[in-house]
Order: sequence, then structure tokens, then C-alpha cells
Amino acid sequence: MTEISTDSAAIDLRHASFSYGGAPQLSDVTARIERGEAVALVGPNGSGKSTLLKGILGLVDVVDGEITVLGGSPREALRRVGYLAQLSEVDREFPISLRQVVTMGRYRSLGPFGWPGRRERELVDAAITRVGLAPHAHRRFGELSGGQQQRALLARALTVEPEILLLDEPFNGLDRANRSALLDTLNSLRAEGVTIVTSTHDLELAREVCTRAMLLNRTLIAFGSVEETLKLPLVERTFEGTVAHVDGHNIIPVPPEHG
Amino acid sequence: MWTATILSPSHPSTDSPVDLGFFFDPFSVPFMARALTTVLVLAVASGIVGVFINLRNLEFISDGLVHAVFPGLVVGFVASGTDGLLPGALVAGVLAALLLTVASRRGVGSDAAIAVVLAGSFSIGIVIVSRETNYVSQLEQLLFGGVLTVTPSQLTQIIIVGVVAVVLVVITWRRQLFLALDPVGSRAAGYRSLPTEIVLNCAIALLVVAGSQALGNLLVLALLVVPVAIARLLVRRLMLLAPLAIISAALAGWLGLVTSFHASISYGITASPGSLIVIILITLYAVALLGHLLVERIRTARRAVPHTCFEHTGQHPVLDLDQDVSARRRWSARFRRAV
Repeated sequence: MTEISTDSAAIDLRHASFSYGGAPQLSDVTARIERGEAVALVGPNGSGKSTLLKGILGLVDVVDGEITVLGGSPREALRRVGYLAQLSEVDREFPISLRQVVTMGRYRSLGPFGWPGRRERELVDAAITRVGLAPHAHRRFGELSGGQQQRALLARALTVEPEILLLDEPFNGLDRANRSALLDTLNSLRAEGVTIVTSTHDLELAREVCTRAMLLNRTLIAFGSVEETLKLPLVERTFEGTVAHVDGHNIIPVPPEHG
Repeated sequence: MWTATILSPSHPSTDSPVDLGFFFDPFSVPFMARALTTVLVLAVASGIVGVFINLRNLEFISDGLVHAVFPGLVVGFVASGTDGLLPGALVAGVLAALLLTVASRRGVGSDAAIAVVLAGSFSIGIVIVSRETNYVSQLEQLLFGGVLTVTPSQLTQIIIVGVVAVVLVVITWRRQLFLALDPVGSRAAGYRSLPTEIVLNCAIALLVVAGSQALGNLLVLALLVVPVAIARLLVRRLMLLAPLAIISAALAGWLGLVTSFHASISYGITASPGSLIVIILITLYAVALLGHLLVERIRTARRAVPHTCFEHTGQHPVLDLDQDVSARRRWSARFRRAV
């Protein structure tokens, strides 16, 4: 997979700044993410992690610098990119079945009226099986637990057979079972050469899933291998002394001058 | 509203055990048949468009659209009587749909923006209509409608406008659905949200325009919101929402007309059919709500069964308390959505 097109990176950012209108939410990011890599975006709330993900999708304007995704503009690459939104951005009482939610991933290629054919149905079933929800396929989306809903949305993102998968805080609020199911899925995707970019508070998970990490706080603090970047001094600088505790993991150290 | 001279009630014999004539005879009179057709057309349109008003929680925006249409109705009416109603309302409705879409996307105090539009346009409408002589009865007509005085050409207009509203929603069904479930996800899938929102708001505006002539500007909101709210209480399948909403709206419309007819003929009570339709619709909602509450009760009771199992296994009952609380929370969320 990595060798198919040799010189275009999965995502290439050159001094890129992103803004929703007004002052940039995230400025001056330079990083080259190769195909098949798994990158963790780490930073406090409001540091620009979601903004960067949306920038890669072309949903936030690049006001300065450049970004290319799979060798083209973000909008051009959109159909080859899967995206898992934060669960809080989703209507969780929606009156449709899990399978219908996953089928929505194929709507773009089906058009407004196209009926899902055999290939479509197989893609949908495969995605549901892949995230381990096959026994629940016909349950109502609203009846599922938060973790299962999260995995259903991941299955939807997988139906586009993405070359890049973007995940926004996928582990937030997951119980142990859902967390390990999600980890398994992500690791198997990585093994197939899918490029993964995920935002997270959770440094343990960043170490478990990712090869590289990007520390962000309104700008790029550091980008490198997980071992090099997820070290105390850099992490402290990123979090500026704010205490972050996530799901019972005591992860972010309180700097001495505050503690 | 009823003029006794028009009616030549052919009261059927009461020999048959079930006197269906009571329910069907009124519609042998042409204007009653037109009223029924109008109500059925509106039921179908509101059942389909209303699905997304409910799923996207657009009830308040719909209210804004309803009121924004009012000055359009007034101007149209003042300019050229009943025939002016539709063009006037159409212009005002589409303009308001565009404005409200943009306002709500800005997100900055969108509720306030809607409230301003709502109050402002209503007062403008009333200022204009109050310059007319005999304005009280005209105002009444505009606010409470006249489903019994719908002319054949008005009916044609209502059908056309209703069909356009339904077509707009049906051809954008998938993107509307995606946007309603998760806005960011739909944009990430490559759907642009602005056109999708404009199309839906225009469809709602068209429905308001069609419904205002029959039910009046004040009561049309019930038609937009209540049928799907009823369906939402009864089923949890998307594909059943529209059919059930259509059935409840049609049922309320038909019963409302029949009731109004007989109240007038047999008891000489002049009851506005539009209001009766809305009252019956609300009654259906109340019944559905009661049924829904009962079912939820039974479900919660069933869910409580593991309670004893936990006690046997020696687990702390706090677990069940949590479960109960989350069930209640889920229920109240659903209730709020439904209302």
C-alpha cells in the first residue's frame, strides 16, 4: 500500500493555518504524514485537534500555508477519507437501525435514489462485522450503548474503504469492552496500510495505537515518534499546566510550579 | 361559517346497525368534498415534510416561518383578494426561509433572530390589514382560515404547492437524513449543508403557504408539528413515521370536518372546522402519549427484573438504580423530542 504512489504523502501540511473565520484556531503546522502511519493528535481542549481533522477534510478554511491530502486538495480526496465524528455531535435518539446508519456511508456513491446492490450490502455487512457488531445489526441505533454507537459510526466510515481514517476522540467515554474492540479494529486497519489520524487526551492509547504523535496547542509543539514526543517536558509544555484526567487514567502530569 | 341554505342534509335511515352515512354523507356536498381533499393533501405533505421538522428539531424555525408568511398573506389579500393569498404567501415564505436559514447558520442568537422575525412580521401584517375596512372579519379569515370556502382554483394551488414541498424533501431525502443524524459527518461525507438546509426550509415554507389557506396562519403550526410527533411516540422506525403521521393528520382532518358538519346541522353550533381538526389532532397526540407512557412503564418494570438476579449474585443494587436513572433520562429525552 505504501509503495503504490511513491512520493505523495497521505497528508502534507506546510505552514498551514486554519480558521473558522476570525483569528486562526490553529496556526503554522508543518508535518508530513506518510501512508500507512498512525498519528495521535494530543493537546488540551481547544488546542486545535478537531480543527486539524476538519482541515484535512476541507471543512475548515486554510487561511495560510498549504495542505495536500493524498496528493490533491482536501475536497478532492474527500471520498477516500473516512471520518469518525465525536459522539456528542450525533443525534443519539435517531429512529433508525444500526444497519441503516452504516448504510449511510454509501449514500454518496448511491446518489439520491440508488438502491443498495449486492456489493453495497456486502460492504456494509463487512464493516459491521469488522467492528464486531454483527449480532446487533438490526437493533435501533438509540438502543445501543454509547460505545456501540461509536463503533457503528466507525463502521459507517469504513464503508467508503478509506485510505485515510480520521477519528475525533474515539475513546472518550468508552467502557473497557468497547475500548478493546475499537483498539482491535484500529490495529487491524493499520496492518492493512490504512493511514490513521486520531485525536486523543489519552496518552496510553496514543502509545498503543500510534507510531507517531503530534503535540498541539493552537500551533504545532512537536511532531515525531511516540517515544520521542510523549515525554514529560514536551507534554507539560503542550498542556501548559492544565490538569487533564481522562476516564480514570491519570495521564497529564501537573507541573511542579502548580502542584 | 355554515349557511344552512347550502345544506340539504340527506340523513340516511338509521336502520343499519352501523351508520356509516354519518361519516361519509357530508362529503356529497361539493364544498365539503373540496374541504376533505384539501385536508388530505395537507396531511400527506405535512406527514412527509414534518419528519425532518421533528428529526432536526426545527419546530421553532417553523413557527418563525409561519409568522413570516402572515404579512405575505395580508399583502396578497389586500392586493387581489383570495386569489392573491398564494402568490403573496409564496414570496414571503421563500424569502423568510432563505433569511432564517442564513440566520440559524450564523448561530449567533438564532432563537432571538427568529423571535424578531416572528413578532415583526406579524405586526406588519396586522398594520396592513387594519387599514382595510371590515378588517376584523378579514383578519379572522387569515388567522383561522376557511377550509370550507376553499375554491376549486385554490385547491389546485394547494395541491401544486404541496406536491412541490413533498418533491423537494423526497429528492433530498438521503442528505436530509444524514444532516439530521450528524451534521459534521454529512459534511465529511461530501454533502454541502447550506443547500440541504435551504431546500428543507423552503419545503416547510411551502407547506405553511398551502396550509395557511385552509387552517389559517395560527393553526397551521399544529399541522407541521403534531402528526409526526404522534408517529414518533408510536414507532421507532423511520420508514413508518411518515405513513403514521399522514394517517393521523388525515384522520383528524376527516373527523374534524364531520364533527363540524353535524354540530352545525343537528345542533346549530357553528364550530370552526379548522379548530376542530387541530383539537382532534391534539387529542390523538394525548392518546398516543398515554399509550407511550404505559408501554414505557411496562418496559421499565421488565427492566427491573434483573434487580432480583443481582441480589442473588450478591451485586450491589446501586447498579440497578443507575440503570433506572439512565432509562428515565432516556425516556425524558424522548419525551422532550416528541413534544
